[in-house]
Amino acid sequence: MTTPAPNVLLIEDEKQIRRFVRVAIEEEGCQVTEAETMAQGLIEAGLRKPDLLILDLGLPDGNGIDLIRDLRGWSDVPVLILSARSQENEKIAALDAGADDYLTKPFAVGELRARVRALLRRRARSGETASPVIEFGDVAVDLSRRLVFRAGAEVHLTPIEYRLLSTLLGHPGKVLTQRNLLREIWGPSYVESSHYLRVYVGHLRQKLEVDPTQPKHFLTETGVGYRFQP
Amino acid sequence: MQIEGSPAVQFTERFKPWQRVGLTILGCCGTTLLATPLLGHLDLANIVMLFLLTVLLIAISLGRSAAVLAAVLSVLLFDIFFVPPRFSLAVENLQYLVTFAVMLVTGLIAGQLAASLKQKAREAQIREQRTRGLYEVARQLAGALTVEQVIDTARQFIHDQLNAEGVVLLPDDPSPGAAGGPEKAACRTEAHLVKVVLNSGQFVRVDELPGSGDASLYLPLRASMRVRGVLAVAFPDNPQELAPENQAYLEALASLIAIAVERLHYVEVAHASQLDTVSERLRSSILSALSHDLRTPLTALVGLADSLFLIKPGLPPAGLETAQALHEQAARLASLVGNLLDMARLNAGNVTLRREWQPLEEVIGASINLLGNALASHPVRVALPADLPLLEFDAVLLERVFCNLLENAAKYSPDGAKIEIAARPLGNLVEISVCDHGTGFPGGSKDKLFAMFVRGEAESARPGTGLGLAICRAIVEAHGGTIMAENRDEGGACVRFTLPMGAPPVLEEEGA
Repeated sequence: MTTPAPNVLLIEDEKQIRRFVRVAIEEEGCQVTEAETMAQGLIEAGLRKPDLLILDLGLPDGNGIDLIRDLRGWSDVPVLILSARSQENEKIAALDAGADDYLTKPFAVGELRARVRALLRRRARSGETASPVIEFGDVAVDLSRRLVFRAGAEVHLTPIEYRLLSTLLGHPGKVLTQRNLLREIWGPSYVESSHYLRVYVGHLRQKLEVDPTQPKHFLTETGVGYRFQP
Repeated sequence: MQIEGSPAVQFTERFKPWQRVGLTILGCCGTTLLATPLLGHLDLANIVMLFLLTVLLIAISLGRSAAVLAAVLSVLLFDIFFVPPRFSLAVENLQYLVTFAVMLVTGLIAGQLAASLKQKAREAQIREQRTRGLYEVARQLAGALTVEQVIDTARQFIHDQLNAEGVVLLPDDPSPGAAGGPEKAACRTEAHLVKVVLNSGQFVRVDELPGSGDASLYLPLRASMRVRGVLAVAFPDNPQELAPENQAYLEALASLIAIAVERLHYVEVAHASQLDTVSERLRSSILSALSHDLRTPLTALVGLADSLFLIKPGLPPAGLETAQALHEQAARLASLVGNLLDMARLNAGNVTLRREWQPLEEVIGASINLLGNALASHPVRVALPADLPLLEFDAVLLERVFCNLLENAAKYSPDGAKIEIAARPLGNLVEISVCDHGTGFPGGSKDKLFAMFVRGEAESARPGTGLGLAICRAIVEAHGGTIMAENRDEGGACVRFTLPMGAPPVLEEEGA
């Protein structure tokens, strides 16, 4: 391995949680820097330029959402949120502020490692020249020609379906919030009309998933938004 | 009518009829005496003027009948004392008859005009008095803080302004005094009539003997939403008091009372809902603090148990086995705590649902995806009608329902057995069923299964807390649905629940 070990910054106030998260991430071949508070975390993020930031939303000295907003002013480092289940609104706010993914406490170490891997892989790949053709399952999407094929046969998508598809494909693995998607595709006046989004995601699943009722690529993050899983 | 502090009214009322006649005669005779010495110096025409002036003054001060008397008297006195031949009714020159006629007619007309002017002024004054009274009572009612104050203000007002006894009856108001208890009531009321007025919203007048103390007029207190009560009035022994203007006056009073009562009612409603909000906020902040305090160590526990597998050099087999057990128990504890917190939140009172219109299949797919490995050995078959409309529900909560039901189905059926999810419209409801091919629910009452901490098999080897179905029921009922469990004839358990269908929003056509 010639590339240096990825640097992960972990901001979490609970010592025992830091301990096992550190063990798990080091297992992925990463270097871990720990921070206990938001202030310290922000300084470390500036100093060390980490490749991934893992952030607990319930920090004692402030709101983690503000940290993400600050961070997004000068960095596009992937951010993984740790939050409790009952905090849907906070998750949404954090994702809207620029976080990439979230884990709900309590979480399994295996799940954590998988998310970390995915985020680091995406970051490594972002430097490469993107291919205009994206493939997942038996579907191939040619972004340069705006064509969608399934098992070799062309699939017809309406303009909105295509826009939704290309937006989701543009952020593989990332959770996109409903508001975000609605604003991007339908415009600001539609941010409360979530049924549009749901119906059109349903159309995409009908056309591109093997079993639309149990999708493998266009996943629902209930109460939060959608995620495209290549 | 007793209205004090009104000088004009007092002036007229001060004299009894015979006094008025006397004053009129006195006035006319005085004019005669005054004019007699002037006879040589003034024309008769000017003396007529003096008499006309007298008639006018009497009309203004003593009223209409006095004016008529004065006009006739003036003509007679003028004829007797001034027109030659003096001291006789006979007239020398017949043209004086014209003078008399003109004098009489002028006097009568002037008297009529003056008197009616005065009457109008008096009426205006009474009206003003009453308007001021209404303003005053409106001000007092607007400042009233309790229903008792409203009732007292109304009673005082009726007593002062109309010299009558009034009582306000508010059947819906539980506060003491609102019902106008018998010991407090200023007049007797007929419960039957009160009910009639309340139901019809029309006033009722009874021909009771005035002065008997029985209410003779029942007015509805009509507010914007509904009739809030009845104003009953008993008049003293003066039948004139049932005049139409009094009734209009009381109607105005009744609507002022109604507004005040309604305002107080809504103040109370707003106050209660504010209290609700405060206690709701308190509950939810306690719950979220508790939830954070419980979840933090649980997260550490689950994670630390997991990380035992990563320790290098690896643990001996016995250690790994312990680590595995630790991990399983920690995960069980986490799910138990999660269930307890969910139940507490659902039971804490008004669950705030984040209802959104969405397809049912999406939340089913998300639930299956969320359970992941737990369903690995149980293929799930989803059969939804293609034309199932969007439903309005809280996706996060409904996901809990499906997860709990699927988990149960997987737990109580053999590996490889199918789990079936189906839905069908049922009138204005949608019935959703989750069925398995397992052992089914043990005998006995199926309803009990949905109670808290009840498990089908009392001492089961399978882990569980008996909260899963209780949570399902709380969520389904919060959505306005019902849930039931049954065993299928061909074996296996079925849980069915309903959700209201509603009217989904219209989707604009693309490109429109």
